[in-house]
Amino acid sequence: MAIINVSIPFRLIKQIEDYSRIVNEILKHNISFNILKFSTTSSGINLLLEVPEDKTKEITETLRSNDIQVDKKGRVILDEDKCIHCGSCISLCPTDALHFTNKDKVEFYGNKCIGCLICQDACPRGAISESK
Amino acid sequence: MTKTYKEINQKIKSGDAVVVTAEEMIDIVEESGSKVAAEEVDVVTTGTFGPMCSSGAFLNFGHSDPPIKFDHLWLNEVHAYHGNAAVDCYLGVTRKLDKRPYEYGGGNVIEELVSGKEIRLRGISDTTDCYPLSEVDTYITIDDLNQAILCNPRNVYQKYDVAVNSTDRTLYTYMGKLLPNFGNAHYSGSGCLNPLANDPDFETIGIGTRIFLGGGVGYIIGHGTQHNPKNGMGTLFVKGNLKQMSPEYLRGVNYEKYGTSMFCGVGIPIPILNEGIAKKTAIKDEEITTEIVDYGIPRRDRPVLGKTNYKDLKKGFININGKEIKCSSMSSLYYARKIANELKEWIEEGKFLLNHPAESLPTDTEFHPMRQTSEIEFVKDLKREAVICYHDCDIKVVAEKIINQNINHIIITDRHNKLKGIVTSFDITKAVANNEKKLNDIITKKVITTTDNEPVDVATRRMKKHEISALPVIDDKNNVVGIISAEELM
Repeated sequence: MAIINVSIPFRLIKQIEDYSRIVNEILKHNISFNILKFSTTSSGINLLLEVPEDKTKEITETLRSNDIQVDKKGRVILDEDKCIHCGSCISLCPTDALHFTNKDKVEFYGNKCIGCLICQDACPRGAISESK
Repeated sequence: MTKTYKEINQKIKSGDAVVVTAEEMIDIVEESGSKVAAEEVDVVTTGTFGPMCSSGAFLNFGHSDPPIKFDHLWLNEVHAYHGNAAVDCYLGVTRKLDKRPYEYGGGNVIEELVSGKEIRLRGISDTTDCYPLSEVDTYITIDDLNQAILCNPRNVYQKYDVAVNSTDRTLYTYMGKLLPNFGNAHYSGSGCLNPLANDPDFETIGIGTRIFLGGGVGYIIGHGTQHNPKNGMGTLFVKGNLKQMSPEYLRGVNYEKYGTSMFCGVGIPIPILNEGIAKKTAIKDEEITTEIVDYGIPRRDRPVLGKTNYKDLKKGFININGKEIKCSSMSSLYYARKIANELKEWIEEGKFLLNHPAESLPTDTEFHPMRQTSEIEFVKDLKREAVICYHDCDIKVVAEKIINQNINHIIITDRHNKLKGIVTSFDITKAVANNEKKLNDIITKKVITTTDNEPVDVATRRMKKHEISALPVIDDKNNVVGIISAEELM
């Protein structure tokens, strides 16, 4: 599954129905997907979606033709040479993708990562970066 | 049954000493009792590996030709302290690189020095008759230095507070990134492996004690600054030869929007001289309690929200008022254990002997707050009366008040003085341009506020952070009691 970040700029939101526009556009394609995160900020509505890898292109094109911005998000990468196993990232990870092993080493499960990137600026060794 | 340092050292030399880590000692005492443990075990090793901000190194570069007496010097562009003789300096680990303050600092320079990398040394001088050279720009390695001495005035905190954040925004602190509304918690320290937790009465740890420091051999040279043994927060002043240390145990770290520091590995051997000491080295994580502190309140005395212990902390969750909060460490338990094991090996191999301290560490030192002779200002000292409009009034009324009173901010309340929002002169201008007619459509409803008893510097920092120029002052019931704006602060 791929992660995409979808957003409608605030200026395009005129009425309450616009909030469901993103979801409705994708539903038209009969694709199952996961909403990882939904947020409204001063810049607009943002959704973090997990979609099937092979459908990413189709979804991106539909959404873009409806003035909705889409960019593909990376998950994080843990550079094990830089990591000093402190754990500054672990309490921040909402899915336990970053966790301690039973030997108290920091371990990263890429398939659990939802690309929220909350951990990225918390690593004091710069060991966490976003995959491209 | 008692043992002497001499007897223990003889066993170490002959390869007969029984050495265990503080974690292993727990099981031994539990299974065989402290009496048997005191007979069987000779040394318990401890370890800790975390950010230790009060660290740094004294360096001596040797004389240039012609000679220079530095007035200022930089190592890889990190400013070092120079208030010593001509070519000595102290490089502190929290000194930030001015251009990239959250990416590189003194701790990184020390790590690179110990790794054998070339470091740029740049220095300037006013020149004297005996030191005529005005500038030096050269590259050095640790081998080029006459002395490189790690000298840390405060390391090895016995334990530390657990940090949480009650506010509605993410905080970047020396306790790491703290998510809003108690989103996570951070702690520091290795619990039952911590050196001072295993010798809380300083029976064996004292001035002159030989220790593992940064992967090499170091010594305790006194109690650390802010040493507070009465509250279970003792600290140590340590030094060691940087030239024989390892970059694995000295790691520069950089905390986003906070600054730079260094992880420093320290391990201390505890000789099991008697049953009492054996018992103390069997301390368990659940016996080391610590306080959960709200870092959302930026004051010296931050509110204590509860207590926890290192057993729960290591499990990864703490509890505040029935809410389970995910926690993790700032320090590395993995490396703390590795240090305790490495020290254990050194002793087992006869490479490291124990010694009687020259002097004991104080057990009654207190940690006092700063004496501040100039009073700090609070919001209530500088606030002025807020100009208020009701939320159901006309935009025109608001505009008139702005003009008549020559102000930029109008606070919007309901009829009972409860804060509803804020309107600026720019909002009014925008309303005219966009042909907006209703006040309700133009007010900012999510208002950033302050309170009477907040220090002015805290309020100022909030304004800067949100790029705004005024804060309504409210009481604990959301009643408007004034306004403080950038003009008052100038």
